[in-house]
Amino acid sequence: MTDDFNTSRRDFVKGAATGAIGGTLAAMGIYSYSSSAYDRLPKVAREQQDFGAVRSVKVTNISETSWFNNAHLMEDIRTSGGLLVDQYTIGWGPFGNGKGPGKSSYADGIAPIKKMIPNDLEAAWAIQQKQALHPDNPGGYSCLIEVEDLDGSKHKYLLDVGWSYDWMDQSFKREGIDRMLQSGEIEALILSHEHFDHFWGFPVAMKYNNRIPTYIHNGFYKEGLQYIKDSGFQGDDLRIIDKEMTLIRPGMMAIKFDVPIICRVYGETSLAFNVKDKGLVLISGCNHQGILQMTSTAHKKLKYDNDRFYGIYGGLHISPFEDWDPKYDDLVFSLGKWNFERVGCNHCTGHLTAKKFVEAGYPVVRGTARFRTSSPDYLGNGDTITF
Amino acid sequence: MEADNRGLSYLERRKLVKRWDGPLPAVANTLMIFAIFGVTWWIFQDPRGLMRMYTPYVGYMVCRWLLILFIWLAYIFDFWPFNHGWLERTHPVVKGLVLTAFCVGAMVLLIDGFFMGLLGRYGIAYFSPERLQAMGLTHFYAEEYATEAIMMFAAIASWLSPSWVVACENAPWQKLAQPTRGITIAVVTFFLGTIIYFVTMHSHMAILFYPWQKYTAITPPYWEGFANTVSGNFHIAWIMCCTVVVWVYESIWQRYPFNLIQTDWLRRVTAFFGIIAVAFCLCFFLFYAQDLAWGLNIRGTRREMAPDWRWLHVGESAIFWLVGVLYLAFFCGNWPTKYSRPVNVFLRTVISALIGMAVYFLYYRYAHLFLGTQKGLSHPQQFPMIPMIWLINLFLVNIWFMDGWPGWKAVPKTATELDETADERVARDVRWTPSLARGLAVGAAAGAATYAVAVFLLPWVGQIQMVK
Repeated sequence: MTDDFNTSRRDFVKGAATGAIGGTLAAMGIYSYSSSAYDRLPKVAREQQDFGAVRSVKVTNISETSWFNNAHLMEDIRTSGGLLVDQYTIGWGPFGNGKGPGKSSYADGIAPIKKMIPNDLEAAWAIQQKQALHPDNPGGYSCLIEVEDLDGSKHKYLLDVGWSYDWMDQSFKREGIDRMLQSGEIEALILSHEHFDHFWGFPVAMKYNNRIPTYIHNGFYKEGLQYIKDSGFQGDDLRIIDKEMTLIRPGMMAIKFDVPIICRVYGETSLAFNVKDKGLVLISGCNHQGILQMTSTAHKKLKYDNDRFYGIYGGLHISPFEDWDPKYDDLVFSLGKWNFERVGCNHCTGHLTAKKFVEAGYPVVRGTARFRTSSPDYLGNGDTITF
Repeated sequence: MEADNRGLSYLERRKLVKRWDGPLPAVANTLMIFAIFGVTWWIFQDPRGLMRMYTPYVGYMVCRWLLILFIWLAYIFDFWPFNHGWLERTHPVVKGLVLTAFCVGAMVLLIDGFFMGLLGRYGIAYFSPERLQAMGLTHFYAEEYATEAIMMFAAIASWLSPSWVVACENAPWQKLAQPTRGITIAVVTFFLGTIIYFVTMHSHMAILFYPWQKYTAITPPYWEGFANTVSGNFHIAWIMCCTVVVWVYESIWQRYPFNLIQTDWLRRVTAFFGIIAVAFCLCFFLFYAQDLAWGLNIRGTRREMAPDWRWLHVGESAIFWLVGVLYLAFFCGNWPTKYSRPVNVFLRTVISALIGMAVYFLYYRYAHLFLGTQKGLSHPQQFPMIPMIWLINLFLVNIWFMDGWPGWKAVPKTATELDETADERVARDVRWTPSLARGLAVGAAAGAATYAVAVFLLPWVGQIQMVK
């Protein structure tokens, strides 16, 4: 009797152990990817923070051409070791040390030019002409944002400062940014992220106004923070964005995204505007977080007129190196569902992406292809767009 | 060790015994493996290191193909062309170096000779970086595209090759001598792998080019509606789950429960397709778990909200579990072993899953401090599978090639032990009884309830800030 009981108990336990694994797996397989499983997902509540409104937003593209020869840029990345290599070590100006790809460092690069920036940029860049990889390749990304308040007053902001000292100084002069910085017309500088083509031209801005209030993402690495100091920033107003939402002014919100980015950069800040009677406008430097990630965040968090997405401007970071991946097609297919009325894209969007947007019938605002912008599918250098 | 006429392989005929009592062997091997991981990672993969193969796809391809070559050498070719006498006589460190070097050489031949040289030059252009570059791609992306395609082949092989040995028991060629058996199984699994590659990955590659290569591949791919993406990551998800489940079945499950089937052909067929079925269950759950934890995926977004990334992350999550599974099997003596097989299997499954979750958490919290990568859940160019497979490769080198040195040493099994090993292929320790049936029913209900609890808890788990 006892033996029978023990055998029976042992068999029961064996069955229970087997059944537990089988039952769990069966439930996983049958239920997990079923429509009823997805029906029970909670609806995401929209916070719809009211952040005010502006009458209009005008963007002047100072420069969207971050580099002039994609093959040269990619060769530098390849020979340095790929897309995860620290940008300060690749050997690009202004941090080239002449030792070859992937063998540079912030300290090596800054040492010979430290005393020259920001006031003798020509001499500093001339040194880099000898030491950096493909020294004529850098350009940069920067744009001027003019916000018109509901009372008609206007406020100017500079988003990013490009890369090459030489190219950015020319570009600033072409669009009158040098004068606006000197006169204090530009109220603040917003650095979207730490990438070479958005940030390394920082001394050019410092040359004209080294006290301008400056916003940076709190993911800047120590080299980036040191570069701000070494570039002659004298302001007491370095505004480190450490919250997801930071109100810059009524109707203008900075949205922080904590995302790791190629070439060892962390985090990007993009801008959202509520344009009265029109809807939401999104402006980005590179949009490494993804356009629809930004759109979906704004949809969840912000309140905007007509509950409508109106426009988008900037680098949309889809195929920046003219590369491709099927997931980019997912974006091309999906963007239409968000019903943007105006899409002004350039820079790291990728020409192939812009072409596919046009083919998909999206309202891409075309440019004039001046000042070394290579395609009218991009809103190019010197072009403007008003939302 | 003498040649075996029951079809037992070298690995099946040896027994690893601890050199020291207690946990010291496991500690010693763990420390050694981590030290070797650190050095080799720095030399080969680290973006700050010497060779910087983590571009990422070059390093991704290399670690996956190395894994396949290790599996081929140890499992499919039973160490041919190496003499078993030499394996028994030679010091484990020498063996480890020689066998690893042999696999590296074979891998280079396969990648450069077969994929890039033969296929890329005379068959499909995207396997050849030179051809892609000549057609206008940058050197960097020409290499990345080609290595991505070659890597995808390896993903399929990492499931099919061991599955033929573990599930199909080498049938119907189990009685052939080496290298005939190895070559036959390698060719057959490679052939099957090629078919699976064409129906799972080829369309993904065809979409990389503009316009879509619709005359040579199905575009948009047939899985778009089901997977909510045109990315082949959907297939990476279930194929990686298959890879993981093969080793779960082989190691901590001791081929249970399919080894209860007494009829050879039925057991083999059931095991082969049963592994796939279990993998799909795991795959769908891991995808749904992400939607529960982080919110519904949104097509067209990037990073952790994108369906393509979430499918990829299914495979990544499964690999974290595999690390736990293999560590438990290799370095903890497949602990626990004192209960009945079903209970041992159940406990090991729970323990290895907990280890996998711990490794997952530790990876995302701390690994960027050591690997030269960046913190964050999703980075478009970072693949946690690279360091995890690199680590698994070192596990395999240590256990398969080095007999577990320094903590273990290989001794020949006794005749009785060899008989037991041969008998293991068909288990007789669980028989159908009314009590077993009742246990099964209760266990299944408990399993379903456990799943329901997991589904309930996952939205809360998603609130935990893993990356700091």
